Amino acid sequence: MKRRQFLKLSGAALLAACNSRGPQAMQHVLSYAQRKNAVLERKLLRADKLDRPKASALNAGEALPVYFVATQIPVWNEAVNGPWRLEVKGLVRTPLSLSLAELMKLPRVTERVNHFCVEGWSAVSEWTGVRVSELARAAGMLPDARAVDFSSFDVGMTENGDEAAFHESWDLESAMHPQTLVCYGLDGAQLGPPHGAPARLFSPIKLGYKCTKYLTEVVFLPAPNGGFWSDVGYEWFAGT
Amino acid sequence: MNRRYHWLVRVTHWVNAVALVVMIASGLRIFNAYPAFGRKGESFCCYPFHGTPIPAWLTFGGWLAGARRWHFAMMWLLVANGLVYVAFLWLHGEWRELAPRRGILRDAWEMVKFYAFVRKDHPVQGKHNALQQLAYFALPWLALLSILTGIAIWKPVQLSGLTAAFGGYVWARYWHFLLMVVLSVLSIGHVFMVLTVDPYSLRAMTTGGYDPARTPERRNARPFYHLFAKGPVEGAPRTEERPNKERSKDERQKEERR
Repeated sequence: MKRRQFLKLSGAALLAACNSRGPQAMQHVLSYAQRKNAVLERKLLRADKLDRPKASALNAGEALPVYFVATQIPVWNEAVNGPWRLEVKGLVRTPLSLSLAELMKLPRVTERVNHFCVEGWSAVSEWTGVRVSELARAAGMLPDARAVDFSSFDVGMTENGDEAAFHESWDLESAMHPQTLVCYGLDGAQLGPPHGAPARLFSPIKLGYKCTKYLTEVVFLPAPNGGFWSDVGYEWFAGT
Repeated sequence: MNRRYHWLVRVTHWVNAVALVVMIASGLRIFNAYPAFGRKGESFCCYPFHGTPIPAWLTFGGWLAGARRWHFAMMWLLVANGLVYVAFLWLHGEWRELAPRRGILRDAWEMVKFYAFVRKDHPVQGKHNALQQLAYFALPWLALLSILTGIAIWKPVQLSGLTAAFGGYVWARYWHFLLMVVLSVLSIGHVFMVLTVDPYSLRAMTTGGYDPARTPERRNARPFYHLFAKGPVEGAPRTEERPNKERSKDERQKEERR
């Protein structure tokens, strides 16, 4: 191939690549990099590394974006589904089924922390709830648990066009982090439907999309089982 | 014909060109998910285009996750390639051609004057002119800062010390963006100057061949001027092509008087 031809061709290829997802053949290389990055992210994770927002940072309050995958704000329908309960199950000695009142009786923690969104914004809020590690202790997590799946009654369309209930699974270490909470309070008030009521997962050590809202189940697993966003191309680990 | 650039420099240059374009374009697609700065609930002082997305044709990756997959894969190529290049500069001693020497700012100003037609003759130079030298010297440092600010916004909790060093997550993201702007401006300027002043360097950067009679210095070349001339062209400094550092002070003064 002549150099001029080559330059023309590569120029055309470059233009064609713009705003596309890039060459299909590269996708498995990208997935490989994503898996290797997850290994590195796991090594960087320190259980005692806490997120401490700047004292000067303002709480987002009303400016905290509202987000769900359904077409409208999901609200638990008690008439159809009975009273809301949080199921803690899987690799545990004693599965739990907690009403909101029972959840609120467990040791309470309040954390003023950052929210890091995959889109690039951040927001400071004050979250009140129960540590996931506390739920693990209360249910008697078994030693072969390696991952935790958090599922939701928020049902929406994935990028691939399938209808699915929202869930995201986590590595056990991140789930056991002291700032990883099942929250029922936001900024000193009870958590409202826009932000995931009755209860949701929140942690500053993962990107926002890992923090399941409208929580129904906490399932301890021997291995991760993907998630709503991580199944369609977003990072599964997504640590911060 | 002599090889103007070592093969390692030529390879890393083109790998870097591809990696940098992909990093910038995918980064712009990521940026478009939130084309603004500042925490939610706060305003941000220093970005006038709040909420205005980057034109889609400048972006790469197709969608947020696609762009992130490219960005977080290509970063390794960019870093590995950059390390090879910098290690070569160091071990091979080529950093001496890029490290600013005394009087570089004055020499750079002379180049600006020449390009602005204030000065007639092309300033005497070594392998690169003073403006090139400054740009090529700055690039590895800008790249290092880009990488560090990138890591700071990738791991704002686990590497919170690094993030804090850049003023926190919001500012680190801002610096990461600004460094991209600076790198883009330098790269666009670089490509423009290559095409309009020294297109012969394209060959030097691919096969390595370079005709000493065609240096911008010998052609007295400004953008679009004397593009196809063969030197020495009138007005060009009548000196052998030799790096400045090899010339004695006397010699240089003599040249300046001429």
